[in-house]
Amino acid sequence: MHQRLPSPLWPLLKSFSWQELRHHPWRSAAALVAVMLGVALAFSVHLINASALDEFAQALRSVGGQADLELHSRAAHGTLDERVLGQLRQHPDVERASPLLELSTYALPDAADPGAKRVPLRVLGVDALQVAALAPDLMPLPDAAGGDERDGGGGQDLRLALFAPDTVFLNAAARQALGTRRVQLQQGLQLRAAAVAGSVRASGSPLAVMDIAAAQDFFGKGGQLTRVDIRLRPGADRAAALRSLQSDPLWQPNWSLSQPGDANARLGNLSRAYRVNLTVLALIALFTGGFLVFSVLALSVTRRAQQLALLGVLGLTGRQRLRLVLLEAGALGLVGSALGLALGTALAALALRLLGGDLGGGYFSGVAPPLQWSAAAALVFAALGVATALVGAWWPARLAEALPPAQTLKGLGALQPPQHSAWAGPALLLAGALLALAPPLWGMPLGAYLGVALVLVGGIACLPWLVGQVLDRLAPRLQQRLLPLLAVERARRVRHSAAVAVSGVVAALSLAVALTVMVSSFRTSVSRWLDTVLPATLYVRSAGAEASALAYFDPAFVQAASQLPGVLRVSAQRSLPLNLDPARPAVALLVRSLQGDATGVPGLPLVGQTLPVPAGHMGIYVSEAMVDLYGARVGADFAPLQQAFAGSLQPGAPAPVFFVAGIWRDYARQFGTIAMDSADYAQLSSDRRVNDLAFWLQPEARTEDVEQALRTLADQQTGGAGQLLEFGSATQIRATTLKIFDRSFAVTYWLQAVAVGIGLFGIAASFSAQVLARRKEFGLLAHLGLTRRQILRLVAAEGAAWTSLGALAGVALGLAVAVVLVHVVNPQSFHWSMELSLPWLRLLALAGAVVVAGTLTARLAGQAAAGQDAVMAVKEDW
Amino acid sequence: MTLKIRTLGKHYGSTPVFANVSLEVAPGEFVAIVGESGVGKSTLLNCMAGLDHWDQGTVLLEGVDLGTQSEDQRALLRREKVGFVFQAFHVLPHLDVLQNVALPLLLLGQHNTERVQAMLEAVGLGALGARLPQQLSGGQLQRVAIARALVHQPRLLLADEPTGNLDPGTAALVLQALVQQCRSHQAALVLVTHSVAATERADRVLHLGSNGLRPA
Repeated sequence: MHQRLPSPLWPLLKSFSWQELRHHPWRSAAALVAVMLGVALAFSVHLINASALDEFAQALRSVGGQADLELHSRAAHGTLDERVLGQLRQHPDVERASPLLELSTYALPDAADPGAKRVPLRVLGVDALQVAALAPDLMPLPDAAGGDERDGGGGQDLRLALFAPDTVFLNAAARQALGTRRVQLQQGLQLRAAAVAGSVRASGSPLAVMDIAAAQDFFGKGGQLTRVDIRLRPGADRAAALRSLQSDPLWQPNWSLSQPGDANARLGNLSRAYRVNLTVLALIALFTGGFLVFSVLALSVTRRAQQLALLGVLGLTGRQRLRLVLLEAGALGLVGSALGLALGTALAALALRLLGGDLGGGYFSGVAPPLQWSAAAALVFAALGVATALVGAWWPARLAEALPPAQTLKGLGALQPPQHSAWAGPALLLAGALLALAPPLWGMPLGAYLGVALVLVGGIACLPWLVGQVLDRLAPRLQQRLLPLLAVERARRVRHSAAVAVSGVVAALSLAVALTVMVSSFRTSVSRWLDTVLPATLYVRSAGAEASALAYFDPAFVQAASQLPGVLRVSAQRSLPLNLDPARPAVALLVRSLQGDATGVPGLPLVGQTLPVPAGHMGIYVSEAMVDLYGARVGADFAPLQQAFAGSLQPGAPAPVFFVAGIWRDYARQFGTIAMDSADYAQLSSDRRVNDLAFWLQPEARTEDVEQALRTLADQQTGGAGQLLEFGSATQIRATTLKIFDRSFAVTYWLQAVAVGIGLFGIAASFSAQVLARRKEFGLLAHLGLTRRQILRLVAAEGAAWTSLGALAGVALGLAVAVVLVHVVNPQSFHWSMELSLPWLRLLALAGAVVVAGTLTARLAGQAAAGQDAVMAVKEDW
Repeated sequence: MTLKIRTLGKHYGSTPVFANVSLEVAPGEFVAIVGESGVGKSTLLNCMAGLDHWDQGTVLLEGVDLGTQSEDQRALLRREKVGFVFQAFHVLPHLDVLQNVALPLLLLGQHNTERVQAMLEAVGLGALGARLPQQLSGGQLQRVAIARALVHQPRLLLADEPTGNLDPGTAALVLQALVQQCRSHQAALVLVTHSVAATERADRVLHLGSNGLRPA
């Protein structure tokens, strides 16, 4: 009767495989370290981003509170009339409406400290009687509250401090940056002092809370709100209430009702592309690590071919041999992944402590979040590590499965991989190319990433064909020359093995080439962009877009600045945030002169055609992100902007029609920018404030002198606000921008080095495997009279031939991947385009270095093969 | 004399392999060496070809003292004057039969397709030149090895159990081809074997023991 036998794999893993590990611990350790590093890098990036995102979400929740709905304005001025509160409170579904005035400005710690630096500060004006119910983390907590129990009179004073003018309550980050006594808040080019009366629990970046009336008075925003938090009556249907509110006759078209969760979604959207791209970049290490696992296991299987054959003769089936090798890889992957998770956690904790939550994208700057470890994420990354090891082991495992036991025991013939369909490679390349053309999914270039992976795998699958094509043409010319003949004939006959040997180099080099071309293209485009956007000599800024409403230059200052000695011309720009879509981050509106000529608009790097603005229209120029995110088209009207200005028009004035006259490239803002002529803006708004001034200087003028004159002017006009100006010459801004760019992309050079290093290790392992398999061949050649030097030359020549082919394929595939990165991944991720720029010299140097290193590696691997050991190998019977 | 060995001795560490080995082989002579496994027969063949080192004595190949030659000089000498046949055939799997046989000529910088073809005819493989080794039987592979060993007309042919992997019938055919070709090329043949049939065809049969070579 047939009896089911227990699986021999586990005992074999403990004995047969363990012996291999014991005899070659460093080789297995290299594969293990490759998996560990890949998992560690990707997991730490994930942990840092997840922790920062969680911290930001918590901060948003604490500021956003527990409202059912939030009312915002989509108007260009971004504010609501406070009379809206009366309307809301009369609505039958509304139980409570809490007004807020949210402003961004800068603050200084204390008037006594002249060297203190400005700190960006969010100021929230709240209704202290309402806020506790809807946003308890914004409830002001007077500083001496604990002592009030003992002193009844003092406690009442402190509670009154909630409503006191010129009084702020700071969160922990603001107290740390600004102190706990007094602060100075910027408005225009002036600083106004406010007392710190206590704290608020809200987390996140520096935040100050004031009584809403006090805030309106303090900043000259009487009667204005930026948000109303709404609590509906119990039992009210949220969707019905929303519809009912929007259908109210008094409802304004530029009002916007959203649910508090939208802010979280907006934050997720804001950083998603950045987070995904960073994670994909980190996964490159794991991808190349897979090739190292492949090389190590291919070497291991080749070395143990006759032992595996003996096991085959003894009854281990081909399928079981395949499973045994996969089990070995799985064990490597499991241990590597476990170590990688531990290392990744440690790296993330260290990075969060040293760098905060920001890895260079600027999305999470200003927070130092605690580590948010997730078991589910750990399992996903561990699974990725194990899967990488298994994928890397698949080919060696198939080799072990397919080996003919009897022939292998006799030492006849090399291990031959199972043949694949000749169409697999081209089909994968085609599928990759088609996927690269796919539109983004959930705002991410997932199709393009998959396309890149398929192009790489398809390209590597085509290597045997490439090797065959080249060598079939080369072989007839080399019949009379022994060493080339031996090298070429062998490579021709075992083209799959040759292709496999160089696949690691192809993968590593193609990734290195792709990253080099992408970074070079981006840098060249940024450099050209800076040339266009920085036409003046000197730039002065009062604030970025967020704080532009409070930190600004008034027209008198601009007028006086243009009259200063040495100043030829001044160009002013106002930038302000514009909420066109509650689900998306704010768009930047740039108000500046757009008077250009046929060659374009000065200072605006236009892409594509521009059109003349039809009569009765207002021309705007939108950034590329506006095309992707808001559907703006050249030659079409842009309705969302019309709504933003709907509430600010004079009664009876016709609604403006905005005409998209051109598209421009904006590397400074990822979520959309609209450039509008200042004359048009003046028709729509009485706001004349500006944030940025560009100065063209007379030839003999010195930049330092003009800077000093501007400081003096600011001090004279505002009583000591010269320190609030930020100066930068075009050269400085350009140099700083490119320095930041280089620092941000420095990590890609390290990744390239790691990838190429792993590729070369792979080639060393593959050559060692090949040389090992050919010891008898080298022994025979020694018997026939080939010198040791000739044998080494033969191995080096093969190394040179193979790595040259690998380099050729790697550069070609890398260029293909670079095209996808430059023309698909970047526009889909960040909504900006760039020109492909090929740094040929660097690419040649990279490919040349790989060929030289590959040749040397092969020669080193051949050292042992050409020794006495090889002479004796001809006696080996098995 | 093609080969002259005087009081050759070799140790592996402190363990002696053989000692006091002396031998002279004339052109065209066939010498068979027998002995127990592990006595150093293959090592002695490697010493004759300058592929291994020895501790005592001299080896003169065509009058050249191999002990005074550098590794490269020995390789050049071997390339020109020595042919090898092994028990395990050792043909290069990636070259076809013609290319395998032509290897020694290529090493000498010669290109002589006619001679290669003639050698293949002589060992009975004239029609199989384009085949790859995987397409041949064991006997055919050994005849390819014999053709390769003799194609450059060496002065000395060293054969290490060339029929050890073959059945008696094929072994007889291969041995006949080997001896016949050596005779016709006037090459000295030193053959290490356990085969009685092989020793029967030798001019001299010597037994290798710990104290050197003695007539068997």
